[in-house]
This record gives sequence, structure tokens and C-alpha cells, in this order.
Amino acid sequence: MGEITEFLTLMIPAMVPFLLAAQGTVLSGRAGVFNVSQEGLMVLGAAVGFLVSFKVGSNTVGMAAAFAIAGVFGLVLAYMTTQLRLDQFVVGLALYFAALGAAGLLYREVIGVTLEPPLIPTLQDKPIPLLSDIPFVGEVLFDHDLVVYAAFLISAAIYWFMYRTRSGLAFRSIGENPKAADSLGINVTWARTWSTVVGSGLVGMAGAYLPMVYTGLYTEGMVAGRGWLVIALAFLGGWRPHLVVAGAAFFAGMEVLALRAQVAGIGIPHQFVLMLPYVATLLVMVFAFRWARQPSFLGRNYDRESRLVG
Amino acid sequence: MSDTLTAPPSAPPDGASRRPSRLAEALWLVVPYVVSVVLAFVVGGLVIAAIGRDPFAAFESVLTTSFNTRFGTIETLHKWVPVLLCAYAFAIPLATGKFNIGAEGQLLVGATGGVALGILWSDLPMVVLLPCVLVAGALSGAVWAGIAAFLMTKFQVNEILSTVVLNFISFQLIDYVASHVWPDRGAGHPATTPVGDGALLPGIGQAPPMHAGVLLTVVLVVVIAVFMRRTSTGFEMRAVGANLRAAQVHGIRTSRLAGAGLVVGGAVAGLAGAIEVAGVHGKMLEGMQSNFLILGIIVGLMARGSMLALPFIAFGIAVLEVGAGSMQRTAQVPVEMVLIIEALILLFLLLSDIARAKLRRH
Repeated sequence: MGEITEFLTLMIPAMVPFLLAAQGTVLSGRAGVFNVSQEGLMVLGAAVGFLVSFKVGSNTVGMAAAFAIAGVFGLVLAYMTTQLRLDQFVVGLALYFAALGAAGLLYREVIGVTLEPPLIPTLQDKPIPLLSDIPFVGEVLFDHDLVVYAAFLISAAIYWFMYRTRSGLAFRSIGENPKAADSLGINVTWARTWSTVVGSGLVGMAGAYLPMVYTGLYTEGMVAGRGWLVIALAFLGGWRPHLVVAGAAFFAGMEVLALRAQVAGIGIPHQFVLMLPYVATLLVMVFAFRWARQPSFLGRNYDRESRLVG
Repeated sequence: MSDTLTAPPSAPPDGASRRPSRLAEALWLVVPYVVSVVLAFVVGGLVIAAIGRDPFAAFESVLTTSFNTRFGTIETLHKWVPVLLCAYAFAIPLATGKFNIGAEGQLLVGATGGVALGILWSDLPMVVLLPCVLVAGALSGAVWAGIAAFLMTKFQVNEILSTVVLNFISFQLIDYVASHVWPDRGAGHPATTPVGDGALLPGIGQAPPMHAGVLLTVVLVVVIAVFMRRTSTGFEMRAVGANLRAAQVHGIRTSRLAGAGLVVGGAVAGLAGAIEVAGVHGKMLEGMQSNFLILGIIVGLMARGSMLALPFIAFGIAVLEVGAGSMQRTAQVPVEMVLIIEALILLFLLLSDIARAKLRRH
């Protein structure tokens, strides 16, 4: 296997947590709800996904549980911001703390203190027949676990919904001008609620993927800031699902690069190599402001009784 | 961002109704806190009961550990310092409407700056070295936050993201310093060699002594309160936070002010790092940032724009945090329960705004 093939084959699964969480962020963001609880929801998703998989013996059920629990947090965020019109950032941060606490509490209660950490089986690769036989492309793209395919399908579905359907157009208009959308009979509250629930659920799944693909065990620091990078990714992708895919490839590429450079030992201390993804994020953000656009009502609550626009 | 967070307290109405309305105002300020805390404990207690533990035993150890023993009190005060300083690091930029999620990184880089001088100049006497260490900490923290401030003012990079990303860079930075620059091989954990004796904050009282950083923090509380209330810069910062558009119209240079707020916040967090080095650990070690960032944000959000409320709320949080450990020992309730209770207090506090608005209308 060539160096490039190997790099790309590692990069595709590394994209999945970024992809799922960022698409979830973009989904609610386009309706105007700026979720900042990703880091917490990913940690909670990882813990719940791991624990349920461990107890039930099925990674699929674990994934579903992670989606459900994060969805509940999304529902709280949606209710508090659309119905009660509390500040989105503050509620998001509070939910981040609550999710972090809940994750630690659940793991400690279910597993307790053990000498040997419990393990779950990691996801198996399911090569797609025929397609995976194509040289290079098949190896890179069509020989992964099912969640990888699902993540790309979900991305495509969100893109298709937003840009190729009538209701998607209506949905996007909410994030740009909820008052106008409301006057056209679009239910702003409902759209913000479902998109935040589904979006948060995807963030939870992104977290659950981590213990299932890499190590088979849950550790407290395993999300390692990916939840925050996901927000950066949503900005970089200009809150557009297709550009987010490209951005996720960039973040995953950096991650794999740092890991491989660390293993290969290229003469510079590994700490500086591990800084790479974060430094690159900062640098890219500097240039991103030229192209990055965001929904104009991102992070702002809508009060239909208010005379002001917003 | 939100008006409720940053709005300066409304001026008391003049005339005959002054006295009762002041009392009413004070009640409106205090009652939501009391109700939120009680509700959060009730919900937390239900969770504890649900996992089959005794909520009363748990809460008793949470609330009394800080006051039962001298050791507990000192530990609480030592925790109060970084929690409060990180809360300032969050709240000062918030006064201009900016979210600083990078207090952790600023604290660590501040600790790095402090420990560097403490090791390099370890022979100097305390009168010279200790101030140098503390100033170096504050400056390093300011520089670290300054990167975010620069990116924000020059390139419109969202400050939430840049400060968070800088946290993760700082983790690697201190790991490098602790394992390559001044490693302590015998520590069994990434840590630097100890700083010179002159870099240590003097202890106060018999063993276990309280470090003098606590007094320093009390002084800082007064300085910041005076700065925000009595200087024109403090007024401008509050004006920007209250209404960005109005402040711009009145000629306040908002972006520069927001940048300055971040840098000052970074300096305070950096000082916290230096105090941790000089007062608690005597060296820099991995994990020394604890979860001061999260606690600082919680305190900063709970204070809702009041610089005066911060020290008291930070003390309450320090009590909970010190109690958390003993709760785990005595009642077998995991420490994370306290984080959940803190998040609940914050959420109930937010909800109290709604209740308050409803009550006032009737």
C-alpha cells in the first residue's frame, strides 16, 4: 500500500466525527440556533455510546442511544431558546457543563473503578462489493465500517434537503430572516426545534464513534477538543454541508498527519507536531473570513411579538 | 449578546420611593440565587436518591467540609483564588460582549512564564524574584490572550474559537516545557523542577498555611471593582457590553476595547497560573489547570455582569468543589454530581429571568 493510499485510508474514518458533528451544527445553525455544547455532547455521546454498547453488546444500539441522549439535550436547548428566548450561548455552555458532568457520572456509576478498563468490539470494515475492487479508489473510499458510509450519506442528505427541496429553501430562510419566514407561514419554532434535536443527536453520534472505531474503550479526554474544532469547521465551511465535507477532510488530514509524524519521529519534539492541527486551524481561520459566510440570524433568538427585526 | 448578562444595574429611582425600592431591588437580586440553588439541590438530590445513595449525607459533606476543619477552609480559599481569577478572565471580556473560553490556556502559559523565571533566577531573593514571577505570569497570560485579540481585531476571527484552540496548543506547550526544557525525571508525571525558594508565596498562619496569594487576590478584587466603576475605560467597557451600537455611535472605539478586554482577562488568568505555581505547587505540572476554566465560566455567567458578585459566587463554587471530594468519600456519590448541580443552578438562574419578567408584569 502506497504512502498516499495509506494516508487517505486513515483519513476517511478520521473525518467521521468531524463530519457528523459539523453537519449537526450546520443543520441547526441554518435555522439560527448556534449550538456551543458540542464538546460536552460528544463526551456524553462517547460515554453513553460506549456504555450501552458494552451492556447490550451492539454498537448500533450504542450509536442510537448516543443520538437519543444528545437529542434530549438538543431539545432542552431548543425549548430554552425558542420558547423562553434565553441566550443561546449561555444555555449552550450550561448544557456543555451538564453533559460533561453526566458523562463522568454515568461512566463511574455503571463501570466503577476497575483495574482493567472494559472493552467493546471496534467496528468491522464492510467493503462494498464491486466498488471496493476498484484499484486505489476502492481501497480508499469503499473499504470502511458502516458508520463511514452513513456519515457521508447523512451529509449528502442534509445537502439535498437544504438545496434541492422546497422545504429546505424555507428552512434556510429562517436563519437569514425569521420574521420574513414567519410572515410566509413557515413555523420558525418547529423548524428550530427539530433541527436542533437532530443536529445535537448527530453530535452525540460523532462522540460515540470515537470509542467504537479507535480503541474500544472510553477515556475521559478522548474527545480532545474536537467538539470545539467542529464549530470552527462549521464557520470554515460557511455553514454549507458540501464545503463542510472538504473542511472535515482538512481537519482529519491534520490529525492523521500529526499522528503519523509522531510515530515516525521526524526530529522535532512530538508536542509541536501535535500542535499542528490547532495551529493550522488558527491560520486557516485567518484566511477564512474572506469567504466564510454565516446565516445572518445565527445565534439570535426570534420573538415574533417584537417589533424590531430580531 | 444578551442584555440580561451585561446590562449595568439600573439606577435607583429618586424621590420618596427610594428606600423601599432599593430593598426591593436587592431582593430581586438575591432571591433568584437562593431559589436557583435550592432547586438545583432538590433536583440533584433526586438524582442521588435515584442512584441509590443518601442525598442528605452527600449534601452535608458538600456543604460542611470547607468549614469543619482548618484544612478544609484553607483548601477552599486556595481553590477560590484560581476559580475567581478565571472567572474574571471570562467576565472582563464578557463586559464588552466577548466570550473568552481560553482562561485555561492563559493560566497555563502564565504558569510557564512564572516557572521559567522561578527556575532561571532561582538564586535571587524573594523581594525581587516573587514580583518578577507574578508579573511574568500575568504578562505571559496577556500575550497568549493577545494572540486571540489580535486575530479578532485584525482578521475578525471569532474569539470563542481562537481562545479555545489556543488552549489545546498550550497543553502541548507545557508538556514540552515539563518534559524537555526543565524536566523533573523523578516526578513520575510530566512536571518541571521546583522553582527557587524566593519564588514561593509566603505562607500565613500555622500548618497548613494559607498562601499570600489569597490576600493578593482580595486586593485585586478591589482594584477591578474600582476600575470597572470609577474609570472611563471601565465605563466604556460596560457601555459596549450594554449596547454595542449605541457605544459606537457615541464614538467609543469598540473593537480596540474588546481586544483590550481580552488581554486584561488573559493577564488575570496568567496571574492565576503564576499564583498556582508560587503558592500551591512550587513547580509546573500537567493537569494543574484542573477544571478552573469551566468553573470560571460558570461563575462568570452566574454573576451576570456584576463584578461585585464574582468573589462571592466564586467562594460558593469553591465550597462545592472542595466538598465534592469528601462527598465521594463519605457518600459514594461521584464528584461529577457537583458539576451537574452547578450547571443546574446556572440554568435555573436563567429561568428566573422569565419568572421575574412574568411576576413584574402582573
